[in-house]
Amino acid sequence: MKQFLYLFFILTVVSACKEVFETPPLALLQGTLLNSSTKKTITSKITVLGIGRDSLWEKETSLKEILLPLSVHDTTNYLISFDSQIDTITFFHETIKKYASMETGFYYQYKLRSIKYTQHRIDSILITDSLVTEIWHENIKLYIHPLSTGGN
Amino acid sequence: MRILSFTFILCLLAAISYGKPEQKKKLKPKRTDNFIRMKGIRLGMDATRPFQSLWTKGDRYGSEFSGDLELWPNLFPVFESGYDVMKIKTNYVNYTGKGSYSRIGIDYNFLEAENRNDKNILFAGFRYGFTLAKQQVDNYEIDSYWGPTIGKYGNQNYFAHWGEILVGIKGEIFHNFFMGWTIRGKAKINVKNMNLPPAYFIPGYGKAKGFNLDFTYSVYYNIPWDFRKSIGAKKTVPIAVKGKPQPAKKPGIKPETKKQSN
Repeated sequence: MKQFLYLFFILTVVSACKEVFETPPLALLQGTLLNSSTKKTITSKITVLGIGRDSLWEKETSLKEILLPLSVHDTTNYLISFDSQIDTITFFHETIKKYASMETGFYYQYKLRSIKYTQHRIDSILITDSLVTEIWHENIKLYIHPLSTGGN
Repeated sequence: MRILSFTFILCLLAAISYGKPEQKKKLKPKRTDNFIRMKGIRLGMDATRPFQSLWTKGDRYGSEFSGDLELWPNLFPVFESGYDVMKIKTNYVNYTGKGSYSRIGIDYNFLEAENRNDKNILFAGFRYGFTLAKQQVDNYEIDSYWGPTIGKYGNQNYFAHWGEILVGIKGEIFHNFFMGWTIRGKAKINVKNMNLPPAYFIPGYGKAKGFNLDFTYSVYYNIPWDFRKSIGAKKTVPIAVKGKPQPAKKPGIKPETKKQSN
């Protein structure tokens, strides 16, 4: 009887701390900021707003690498401010639904098709890996013009 | 000095062992309990199945019944059948998987009986299990900066089968009443390949991964019906022999005999 109660106690403790479910993975597009002249990484104060969204994704954050969520639709539009110089970037992509597990759920992966952008601060964008997955890695290289005074 | 003494001891040991006949390899004695100890069929109910959610992620519950009999001495063919449900409800997924399953297999008893009434067994065995199951995702949500996406997957039916190896004990606690536990290692043989989502839960097996470990605790009742005796009795129905009188079926009625006339 004592052993049974002990087993019951262990099972109760185990059951009390088991129901922890992870959140689904998130695939984010990763871009590396590079100086268009020196081709070296550059840090920039970045603000990011998704066109059609009310909230900012990034707000005046100094970054060398930028992580961007893509939309479920085939195009994703961003307004990106690089040290107060604003550019628009449009990503054309394919969206693929993925299954992580029933405990975590579903998520999207993306395949980049092409990128359209304005060239106020951006010099050019190069796709290095078109597959945007939950394991964040460099997908694009963003070559931006260096600031005329100071900066990198 | 120490090396010298070690060498001496080694030489002594070698001298003692030299010339000794090689000991015969011990042979395992043959079992003396080659008799049927458990007459009749034993029916069981797994007491752990309704409470599986205590140690499984998600809300898992079910019921399982079993039947076994000692068909040959120490060999117990087994049939198990049950119903298993798995429900997972998180902020992102609302899932239900369920179905009935069956297993067939055989157990071998290693425990030698102390006497003819000793029915306790320590066994190892194997099972082949199969199920017809269904699953559905009532809703799922993919959260994003661009707003959440909500969807669902309707009913998916699938067949799965697997193999199990197990060890356990069954002990007689009262006359014809048994209790026992089993540890099972389960390996998936195959499950129907579906697009999205793949089969997550296999009733009777667990999560649809390659290997699962399970523990069961059951209570049993041995129906004290000796089917061998019944079959034996049917076989030994008296047959009339030519020229010999048939025995009377009812008491008091004498078999007819021809009187010899002189």
